[in-house]
Amino acid sequence: MTFDLIQKEKLFLIIQREYLTRLRSKIFIVTTILAPVVMILLLILPTLIQTMTAERERQFLVYDETGEVGSGLVANDSIYYKLTSDAPDELRTRLINGSIEGYLVIPHEILDGQGKVTFFHGGTAGMTVTSRIRSDVQQIVRDIRLDRLDTPAEVRAILADRVQTENLTITAEGTEEADSGFFMLLGFVMGFIIYGAMFGYGAVIMRSVMEEKTSRIVEVIASSVRPFELLMGKVTGVALLGLTQFAIWAAAGAGIMMIAGPIMALFMESGAIHEQPVGASTDAAAFSIPSINPFIWISFVLFFLLGFLIYSSLFAAVGSAVDQESDSQQLQMPIIMLIIIPLMFLFPVSDDPASTLSVVLSMVPFFAPILMPVRMAVIQIPFWQLWGTVLLMILTFVVLIWMSARIYRTGILMYGKKAGFRELWKWVREN
Amino acid sequence: MSDSIVEFSNVTKQFGNHRAVDNVSFVVRKGRIFGLLGPNGAGKTTSIRMLTYILKPDSGSIKMFGQPVGPETQKKLGYLPEERGLYKKMKVGEQLIYLCRLKGFTREKARSQIRYWLERFGALDWIGQEVGELSKGMQQKVQFIATIAHDPDCLIFDEPFSGLDPINSEMLKEAILELRDAGKTIFFATHRMEQVEQLCDDIALFNKGKLILQGDLTEIRSSYGLNSIRLRFSGDSRFLNNMENIRINNRSTNYAELRLLEGANDQLILREAQRHVRIHAFELVQPSIQEIFIDSVSK
Repeated sequence: MTFDLIQKEKLFLIIQREYLTRLRSKIFIVTTILAPVVMILLLILPTLIQTMTAERERQFLVYDETGEVGSGLVANDSIYYKLTSDAPDELRTRLINGSIEGYLVIPHEILDGQGKVTFFHGGTAGMTVTSRIRSDVQQIVRDIRLDRLDTPAEVRAILADRVQTENLTITAEGTEEADSGFFMLLGFVMGFIIYGAMFGYGAVIMRSVMEEKTSRIVEVIASSVRPFELLMGKVTGVALLGLTQFAIWAAAGAGIMMIAGPIMALFMESGAIHEQPVGASTDAAAFSIPSINPFIWISFVLFFLLGFLIYSSLFAAVGSAVDQESDSQQLQMPIIMLIIIPLMFLFPVSDDPASTLSVVLSMVPFFAPILMPVRMAVIQIPFWQLWGTVLLMILTFVVLIWMSARIYRTGILMYGKKAGFRELWKWVREN
Repeated sequence: MSDSIVEFSNVTKQFGNHRAVDNVSFVVRKGRIFGLLGPNGAGKTTSIRMLTYILKPDSGSIKMFGQPVGPETQKKLGYLPEERGLYKKMKVGEQLIYLCRLKGFTREKARSQIRYWLERFGALDWIGQEVGELSKGMQQKVQFIATIAHDPDCLIFDEPFSGLDPINSEMLKEAILELRDAGKTIFFATHRMEQVEQLCDDIALFNKGKLILQGDLTEIRSSYGLNSIRLRFSGDSRFLNNMENIRINNRSTNYAELRLLEGANDQLILREAQRHVRIHAFELVQPSIQEIFIDSVSK
């Protein structure tokens, strides 16, 4: 088979149509507005939920054999802890019938460094509660034991002291910056955005191919342009749409920052005057977002584009092979797997971006769109890895679009037949 | 032939083990309506798809205006596929301009052509409506305009009358004849043989991928001579079942077409008919296309 030279004017027309009709569609406007809202909600919702649930007041009964530890706990927080003289058996019955939430049994030998404190509760106590009780008991028991030994204040100070550690990142320019974990978060967010984009825009391509096929317009179009031109026009048009959407979000984000920055500064200033005139400047500095290397933005766009090209050629092939969306499940499966796998490695890769596992995974063309930006946000990627990956991705795309074009060409004219993988492979090999 | 527009030479196309088009050659002359006939699956649509450069033949060559088919010949071609389709969400005007521009027209030229045709079909009001909002009949008109708006020299209609009501059928038929008179070459593919007799100048009969008969329709029919009878009657027609050496086509309660086979005697049939039914018409005629098709297949 020979590819005909692409006719530029026709390709341009197709790109224009694919881009403009979508740009004006309701779904584009809705997703452009809604996606960031959903994203922000997902980010703040866990914190919001936590603060809301933390409000609930709880109380635990303390059965204390030492006569010292229990009163120490109550002295700490008289709502959370309440002394009881009821026997543990009695407490057990009350816990079972639900009149109390839980109780602690503190044995007398605990002050000799033996035995253990037992915390009884219904269901699961929850991580916050368990760790609070453990640390409260620990502190009081320790203090009492230190008191018994007449420990001097210096020793106590040493025990209470914490060694300060600080993370500093040395940037390429040699300056030191506080590592606030911000770049790891940035990598995560970028990875997730690309992940969402692969799915979202991939589905746009697939539906669009399917729509042309089921509405049968494709045969009219195919009598005017080569299927390959139609495919390329579609992919390019949707890629431009994706970039437009990102540009809108970026512009909106920058706009919000520009407005939010001065407002926040204003708040901090007024707060500083009233509360802590000296410490304010350091606090504000800790709050500011580290500057992001523009190269990270550029590579983010680059990896989005390459990833989009790879996945959209796969989705287009699936779209051309089926008559209706429900038939596409089976064929979509491997593509979806390819997108999801890197997501599972998101944490290990961002945790140690220079490990062999991270390097290898991030260089696999199918995983690179998600994993490479994650690594790049955190560390400086060696030249060969970065451009080697880009090259691999371009090669992958060329092979895939070639195969996909062959499937597409056959698929768009094939009706009423549910093609499996074997069938698709035949379409690639033949004609 | 000097005025040949389309030329198929030994064209073969195979899908897997199925030979959809098998060594087909024919020539279509300018200003003629050329009927591609045959039952479903005979190879008509595959031939058309090769002519429109949607598919490429495995072997043989297809020429249009003397040059091999390709992106250049696509511009001179208007194609109405058997399965109609338009972008449902796109507005009529925008869509027609888009399709017209894909054929190489400039925006301005496309716009004026489309206004002309929409006006002509009384459809100018639809220009801003989405295609999906139109009735089926209206969509058919839009699709027809999409086929002819770029003023192609060669037009291909695949089963153009399927799904059309009688009024739209008649309109379409007139439009096709008008285009022929304007010097366009028209391909007309159908499995409904009776439509062919009213429209086609030339025919090509396909069966199982092979071209079994082609040529000028009038010549083909007259070469068969007056070997058929059209009988219109009232009464009990069971006597026909006992007649020998005839083949009965298109039989209904008061009509029958009889093909005279070897050894049949038309006068005998007339006398026999007189004895059993009341005759309204008895006519010796040339065979119908259907008859010719059956004849050619059985040869």
